Amino acid sequence: MNPENLLNHRTQKCTLGCPILDRVLSGGIPCNSITEIVSESGCGKTQLCLQVLLSSQLPVSNGGLNSSSIYIHSEFPFPFRRLQQLSHSFRSSYPHYQNPCDKIFVRGVQSAEELLGLLDRIDGLVTNPPSQNPPVKLIVIDSIANLFRSEFENTPGDLKRRSGLFFKISGLLRLKAKKYGLAVVVTNQVVDFVDGGGMNGVRAGNLGVFNTSGRRVCPALGLAWSNCVNSRLFLSRNDEPDGSDGGFRTRRRFQVIFAPHLPESSCEYFIVREGVFGVEP
Amino acid sequence: MEVSSLPLSPTQRGKLISAGYTTRLSLSSVSPHQLAHDLNVPHEEAIEILKIALKNGKMGESNSTHSVVTGAQSAWDMLHEEDMMRRITTSCGDLDNILGGGISCKEVTEIGGVPGIGKTQLGIQLAVNVQIPVDYGGLGGKAVYIDTEGSFMVERVYQIAEACVANIMENHVPQRKDARVCQKTMQCNSFLENIFYFRICSYTEQIAVINYLDKFIEEHKDVKIVIIDSVTFHFRQDFDDWAQRTRVLSTMALKLMKLAKKFGLAVVLLNQVTNKVVEGSFQLSLALGDSWSHACTNRVILYWNGNQRYAYIDKSPSLRSASAPYSVTGKGIRDSTSHCKRTRMM
Repeated sequence: MNPENLLNHRTQKCTLGCPILDRVLSGGIPCNSITEIVSESGCGKTQLCLQVLLSSQLPVSNGGLNSSSIYIHSEFPFPFRRLQQLSHSFRSSYPHYQNPCDKIFVRGVQSAEELLGLLDRIDGLVTNPPSQNPPVKLIVIDSIANLFRSEFENTPGDLKRRSGLFFKISGLLRLKAKKYGLAVVVTNQVVDFVDGGGMNGVRAGNLGVFNTSGRRVCPALGLAWSNCVNSRLFLSRNDEPDGSDGGFRTRRRFQVIFAPHLPESSCEYFIVREGVFGVEP
Repeated sequence: MEVSSLPLSPTQRGKLISAGYTTRLSLSSVSPHQLAHDLNVPHEEAIEILKIALKNGKMGESNSTHSVVTGAQSAWDMLHEEDMMRRITTSCGDLDNILGGGISCKEVTEIGGVPGIGKTQLGIQLAVNVQIPVDYGGLGGKAVYIDTEGSFMVERVYQIAEACVANIMENHVPQRKDARVCQKTMQCNSFLENIFYFRICSYTEQIAVINYLDKFIEEHKDVKIVIIDSVTFHFRQDFDDWAQRTRVLSTMALKLMKLAKKFGLAVVLLNQVTNKVVEGSFQLSLALGDSWSHACTNRVILYWNGNQRYAYIDKSPSLRSASAPYSVTGKGIRDSTSHCKRTRMM
């Protein structure tokens, strides 16, 4: 049992595929760590995940991890058309990548137990993926909230069982992340903020109030789960009146809620056919 | 009082001095068995020497109050010793104030709060601050950092260390001629080298490391702080038997307390908060349950008040309960700047 030498302990980062978003995260998604992306549906968290799956294949000199990746989805169906679309634009920027989708391994899970079972058996795939692909350095779970939305009731017993599962999943993810130097991304949904509800009014992180689409929300799965991630990012959208013709313009925001290595920072972003990109402030 | 002035035979005196017992004080806490072994004399002779030392001590110095039970200290001595004890600054003046000057050595301090409040930041800050050289009001010690969650980021340690060095330069160096020398000794890399970092992935590993610490610190006596970030994480999974969890936790707490006492180092435990059901409604409290709250000497709770971070002394035998604002900046933990902000808001 020896302490690790911190001098050659540089944290590797995986680019998001956009220099402006990377700048907010000071280089990208960190390895050996769990990064959570929270947003309501329609803010582009799945698209951002798909984009990271592609950019993780880039060589280290381009900000990638030179790796394969695993995408575990609990929301069906798997958005393969969007991935295909994104991979086309990826290939137009990096033409020598024959078929980037070959390096993305996809698996659907329907329950927390199934996810635990999958994580227990994932070592072989991580270290030695099929057809001579490089080892996996990125695992994306989209979304964690969906696994816990139906099965559990709001009773103390069920809540305890639920948070036990959170810590088990997180413990396993952190173990694999440490063992293989993985970057782990999980997505989470939001729930409406209920005043006086006790449970979800607890402030955690830079943002006192989460607003999206004109509603006050908070990350799903409560306080227990927020102990299970290292960094939390929040994507939001709010419509603003645009000019005089009564139209609306959607402003999207990418925000760091908490992260051990990052200051409070944010940027606006937009979603186009080619992917998710930040706006220069 | 010197050993040489005790009414002992010259051979005995010689043996004592060559075994390292030069003052009468050094004999005060040694057992007859140990002394017999060290001096290579019969057990009875060792008892005799100790008796003489004890008797002479009492008669010689009237203000010294050494007890009859060897190894025990009087409360007066302990108070004196505590005054001599240096504290580890948090780099936030207000926080240091309510802590009585900083995190105290020889004690276990628990710090808890919601995610994102700055527990890890405070942990890293302390791991850096313990290394401030003695000449500049620090302890010049080293740190053990036990990371159970993977939140310890080297790039952040580097930033905080850089700011800490810059701070020392600014405040002390202009008056000193040896500026260049100390710049050399205070490099950020050496700050990193002096943090012994353990990454833990299960509760069994956590217990194993804590058991190993005794031996490790015996070899690295300059370790002055042990930080566990967080003590909680692995104990919130895999435990179906809560009574067993309580036993494991209290054994661990006792070991940590013993470690703090034995080596005169600070133990800082970072804890998470949880929702506790009290009569049907949810309340925030630190994790690991009620019996755990006895595990630490001091308990500090970090919380949000509006947009301001606050620390609150929840439990301490020597400090009064108080709260103080602090902030987390690019340079690390610092004094809150909200005084001006507050006036602007009004």
